[in-house]
Amino acid sequence: MSKLKVALYWAASCGGCEIAQLEIGDKILKLAEVADIVFWPVAIDIKYKDVEAMSDQSIDACLFNGGIRNSEQEHMAKLLRIKSKVLIAYGACAYGGGVPGLANLFNRQTIFDRVYVGTPSTDNNSKIVPQISYKVPEGELTIPEFYDTVRTLAQTVAVDYIIPGCPPEERTTWLALEALIEGKLPPKGAVISHNIKSVCDDCPRKRNVKKIKRFCRTFEIIPEPELCLLEQGLLCAGVATRGGCQAPCPQANMPCTGCYGPVEGVIDQGAHFLSAVASVIDSNDPLEIQKIIVGIRDPVGTFYRYSLPDSLLRRARTKCEG
Amino acid sequence: MKTARRVPLLKKMLSQLGIEDERVRLDWVSASEGDRFAFMVNEMTEQVRRLGPFRRNGAGVNV
Repeated sequence: MSKLKVALYWAASCGGCEIAQLEIGDKILKLAEVADIVFWPVAIDIKYKDVEAMSDQSIDACLFNGGIRNSEQEHMAKLLRIKSKVLIAYGACAYGGGVPGLANLFNRQTIFDRVYVGTPSTDNNSKIVPQISYKVPEGELTIPEFYDTVRTLAQTVAVDYIIPGCPPEERTTWLALEALIEGKLPPKGAVISHNIKSVCDDCPRKRNVKKIKRFCRTFEIIPEPELCLLEQGLLCAGVATRGGCQAPCPQANMPCTGCYGPVEGVIDQGAHFLSAVASVIDSNDPLEIQKIIVGIRDPVGTFYRYSLPDSLLRRARTKCEG
Repeated sequence: MKTARRVPLLKKMLSQLGIEDERVRLDWVSASEGDRFAFMVNEMTEQVRRLGPFRRNGAGVNV
């Protein structure tokens, strides 16, 4: 049997996914036995034109991490879709937009104003911001266009599988790679994880009836080590997040932030999380309810930490051009 | 009762997303208050009509 051809690419992401791919440790040798890596910008020197020269569908599987926030990423997503038999959204950003997707609370102009002009440490009196093209004596220089809106990979091209996580746990990555190597991939469209239930199903903490009078942030309390974090007032996303990670965060006294995406069957993770959190508020008095929700300082950033672009609303309403 | 807890939090989040407060309303009507129900539905419809169609980006095109 000829070796599999595998490509890896990064778009709007932090680089943590590349490290997570190496987390499989010596299993990478097993991968190297059966697969050739034909494209991986972080590790091997192959140019975009080399990918363009590959014949269509010649890559067996492409692991694509990061959301789509500029024209270069969109171009590469479309190119890799054409060149790959199987396209896998790897990690929370490709899946739901991830943390960079929270930029959908703003638009290009507000982001540029802040980053290139407004930050206290910036000295940019002439207010120069990136332009798509610029004429110099030697010719025209171009850079990719920065979009108003971060999109998920699946909102850009057809995606065959999803490997969730920020970054995906080693066991989740290997679950997918092993299935690929053995030719036992699940039906297309599947989110590959060990558990289709919530993180709570993985979590060893004790659960009782939840009644919350006060929400707090992680630095405000030292949580009981064995009791459900949500019951202690911490905004733990475990109830609204797919399991399979084995709940490492709650076991380290940190609430789940939701990186494995929605549980099976749920379309909008943030709405699910919000609904679960609000329903355990221990009050029937409208004024007291208002007072309790003051403790939730940043609802969008909490409930849609990794999934704002993939939510029903996709972004905040601000004036956008493209 | 869960709805009474969810709606204030939902509205708080929607305001962060730039969605007008008037697009979401929670009110209570008893089965015997037919007139009040009709009045409120008309009022809400009128209110949303005044706001116009919902667009994600506020510029007329959904992105």
